[in-house]
Amino acid sequence: MTNQMSEAPPSAARSTASAPSRPDERSDETCIHIRQFNAWYGAFQAIHELNLDIPKAQVTAFIGPSGCGKSTLLRWINRMNDIVPSAHARGTLNLAGADVLADTTDVVNLRRQVGMVFQKPNPFPKTIFDNVAFGPRLHLRLQRGELEELVQWSLQKAAVWDEVKDRLHAPALGLSGGQQQRLCIARAIAVGPDVLLMDEPCSALDPASTLAIEDLIYELREQYTIVMVTHNMQQASRCSDRTAFFFEGRLIESGPTEDVFTKPKEKRTDDYVRGRFG
Amino acid sequence: MNEASATDETQGSRGTVPLASASDLSDNSRRRKLHSRLFYGLCVLISLVSVCVLVVLLVSIGVQGKSRLTQSLLTGAHSELNPESAGMWPAIVGSIGILGVCALAALPLGIGTAVFLEEFKPTNRWLRSLHGFIQLNIANLAGVPSIVYGLLGLSLFVFMFNVFGQIKVNESSGIELMGVERYYQLLTLRGNGHTVLIPQTDLSQPTITVDEPVMGIDPQGRPIQIGVWDPGTPKPSADEERRRTVKRGRVGGVYAKTSWNYFRLPFGRSFLAAGLTLSLVILPIVIIASQESLRSVSPSLREASYGLGATNWQTVRHVSLPAAIPGIMTGSILAMGRAIGEAAPVLVVLGATVAKNTGPQHLMDNVVTMPVLIFNWAGRQQATYQELAAAAIIILLMILLLMNSVAIYLRQRLRVD
Repeated sequence: MTNQMSEAPPSAARSTASAPSRPDERSDETCIHIRQFNAWYGAFQAIHELNLDIPKAQVTAFIGPSGCGKSTLLRWINRMNDIVPSAHARGTLNLAGADVLADTTDVVNLRRQVGMVFQKPNPFPKTIFDNVAFGPRLHLRLQRGELEELVQWSLQKAAVWDEVKDRLHAPALGLSGGQQQRLCIARAIAVGPDVLLMDEPCSALDPASTLAIEDLIYELREQYTIVMVTHNMQQASRCSDRTAFFFEGRLIESGPTEDVFTKPKEKRTDDYVRGRFG
Repeated sequence: MNEASATDETQGSRGTVPLASASDLSDNSRRRKLHSRLFYGLCVLISLVSVCVLVVLLVSIGVQGKSRLTQSLLTGAHSELNPESAGMWPAIVGSIGILGVCALAALPLGIGTAVFLEEFKPTNRWLRSLHGFIQLNIANLAGVPSIVYGLLGLSLFVFMFNVFGQIKVNESSGIELMGVERYYQLLTLRGNGHTVLIPQTDLSQPTITVDEPVMGIDPQGRPIQIGVWDPGTPKPSADEERRRTVKRGRVGGVYAKTSWNYFRLPFGRSFLAAGLTLSLVILPIVIIASQESLRSVSPSLREASYGLGATNWQTVRHVSLPAAIPGIMTGSILAMGRAIGEAAPVLVVLGATVAKNTGPQHLMDNVVTMPVLIFNWAGRQQATYQELAAAAIIILLMILLLMNSVAIYLRQRLRVD
């Protein structure tokens, strides 16, 4: 899949020329490599000069007050902001070595590789089966049996199989909010992504469903690189390996979750994680 | 200091409120409740006025037309001599035919335009201004009077700007592409005028004079040798020979044998032209209704689809359109209701002919429509025609009601799923 995106990224030269302003915190292998990243909505600059490495097969949480640019960054990783006409970005955003922002990037393949789960559960008004089969049907020609197998695998992976296996052909909108969100996760992983982006995946759910999703996120990181935006401090501390704190469009601090929460280097991070503002 | 005094003042004025007497307060509340009731009454009255007008209209039409609501109204055709037996069958078929053409033309165009405007918003600056230009024009086109569309249809579809030659209305001219065979028709010697046909080779010759034996066909389509008989000599004795023998110098006129797919450019005063003209009338309505219902599809569904790597088209095909289809269908059926009731553009395109015994026989056929027939009947002196017009209005209203009920049913039915 990465082959299709391995053309020499035009902005690679820029990124190597300028040294990262922050010491590199790479733990293992870097999956997403962001350097001097700027993003705008029209004239409004949402992200300023951001440098960040997101490691592979770990959960990275983006925290920060509303409007700090964390969702914007998330939506640039799979070029979701392409739908917003006024949105544009400059800088380096490499995913497994391929330049995401390049004009030549095939967004269809990019989004196959980078799945997304949204704030509000948004299943299609179709059956549970058709929801999960939607992505595979877009990209592949599968036999009925293979498709059924894939749907089952995805639903099992998303820990929702036991609840829906008897009503696969019932409308997805009949599920509870938490089940719908897990269905959306199943739908995302059915396409076979390497990265999962989650934009406040639990903010519209009750505590019990939230817990189920958090457990799921914890499970999924074995196989997927997960980037999660959250407003919930406890959630970030519970289920993420690394945390990045954003404030007013800038990355203030990033590091292992434990460090960010217990001994932050910046005062603003400290204030935020202690709930003094935001 | 200033702030402090200001707060003092506000507190002071607030302090006056409890001083207002209890009776004042209740008076005020009584007055406000009275106003509310008065306004409620006014609203009821206003809506009653419009309902009354409708009821008066329906009752007067019903009273006038009920004596003519017979089977012959539905099955018969217009009659100049015998209004008692006149009916509107050709007009019903004609209206439905025109509506079919109209739907086939307007729905794909309208829904396609709506999809372009809503789902394929261009990022390129020039395309974006084109986009805005189209959007602005559609809003304006919805307000253009339908007679103007009639005139447009007349030059665009009926005459096609005379690109295919000067067209004389009701005459076969222009470029004929298919579905028509032209012959000269002659009467043979056999008693009651047996007809034979000679294929017309030179279309510019409106007649043929038979001076010598030629090949032709008989009414059953079999090729025959047409013989010539000289006046003064004895006629052929055998009946078979008489059937295919014509008098020398006999003049044959043009006869066109058309099948349903007769197609020519320009369209002339045909139901195809009328249907296309009506499709122009309802196109803006279809576009706006489709746009509205596409716009009401939750953006989160679209995001979900794009997020899974769907292309623009896949998102439209599998997500946006299925979700918008109830609204699109409702809007389209309501637009069809508008089209079936239109008289002005049809009058301009087809003329005011009502003397027709059948519905359309081929694509280039002229037809009568219900509104045109009603217009014609209502303008006549005889009381019978007045009653017929009222009865025809009842039928038209019933068809419209039926269409609207289908629209409501579809909306309810598809929305639940």
